[in-house]
Amino acid sequence: MLKQYQQVIDQHRQRIFSFAYYSLRAKADAEDVTQEVFIKLWQHWQSIDHLKVGGWLMRVAHNAVVDHVRRQKPGNENVDSYAEVEQQASDSVEGAELDQEIYKVKLMEAIQTLEDPFRSIIILRDIQGASYLDIRESLDVSESQVKVYLHRARRKLRENKTLRDLFNSSMAGVTEPDRDHGTIN
Amino acid sequence: MQTSSGSQCYFVQLQIDSFLDGELALAQQEVFMGHVHSCQACAKELHFARNLYDAVMDLPLVDCSDLTLEPAHRISQLGRQPEPIPARSPASFWQPINDWLSATPLSLRLALPALALTVVVISMSGELLQTEVPLPNQQAGNAAVDSYSAEQIQKALQDLNLAIEYLNDVSQRTEVMIGERFVVTPLQESLNASFDRSRSNRLNEGSRVMQNDPI
Repeated sequence: MLKQYQQVIDQHRQRIFSFAYYSLRAKADAEDVTQEVFIKLWQHWQSIDHLKVGGWLMRVAHNAVVDHVRRQKPGNENVDSYAEVEQQASDSVEGAELDQEIYKVKLMEAIQTLEDPFRSIIILRDIQGASYLDIRESLDVSESQVKVYLHRARRKLRENKTLRDLFNSSMAGVTEPDRDHGTIN
Repeated sequence: MQTSSGSQCYFVQLQIDSFLDGELALAQQEVFMGHVHSCQACAKELHFARNLYDAVMDLPLVDCSDLTLEPAHRISQLGRQPEPIPARSPASFWQPINDWLSATPLSLRLALPALALTVVVISMSGELLQTEVPLPNQQAGNAAVDSYSAEQIQKALQDLNLAIEYLNDVSQRTEVMIGERFVVTPLQESLNASFDRSRSNRLNEGSRVMQNDPI
């Protein structure tokens, strides 16, 4: 049983952590959620359907993320500073690559600010490549709802002004070195 | 390129997701691409959407450190077997009692059994005191006299019923039951009455007066 448990952890840890990481704004929070999910797995080991353990884990992770977001007081979010991420990026890359890194960070921010279930569906479908069936089991919604939510989520991302501005500036070939990106606060 | 009408652009832009997912039928794709080739705004929107979705799909899966999962591994390796979660019967006989006890303050939950035990013990001791306590040198002669009379048992039962009535009152008035007046005084009066009865019985019988003071 112990061996099976550890195998399940190894098999799903990346998926669970990625989901929490892209859903929340801080790595530490994502680690807390991941830890919580796998401890719950042990506690419920004898009562869960082991053929559907992936869906069960994702459902628990989704609930934990929702709880975490709910507990965060507005304006007091524990978030990784955008400035820090940008600094790390600029240490290793330059020019166009830096623009790509900035775009990536802004994209992650845009995903994190989506409401649930739009955020969860974008992460599960577009980042993790989960099937509609997996998403349906993880989020307890119908398959047609998953498709509708996914299209709405993508449209919401397209409506993000920061992403559009970055895209437009890259298309125009204009680099603004003094542009103030601010922080994710 | 020419700019097409706004309504056409609106419908084409609604189909961008389906187009990128390859969900449009061949005929729809032709109409879609025909419009995009002739409309700069829609071409730009399609380019933006494609770029955006590519960026989302390029976001990597990330992994946590092993340290994060250390508590989960530790719990499982400590040998603590996960316990199956017991199914809760919906209409259990004990359910209302459990619910009532859960809603009762802890001090009260401890006070109730202690009170019941005290009442029973004191009642029994009161009755025992009514019988003659054999002196050590008399023990051999009185070894056969160990049982209680029917009257004594009846009296003990009455005291026990009185105590149960008090417990029922206590359960209905949780706010004041710890108060000295409500719990202690009536109980004390009851016990004193019990002792008085036994004392008068003994006086009537001409036996020796009890030395034990009532509570």
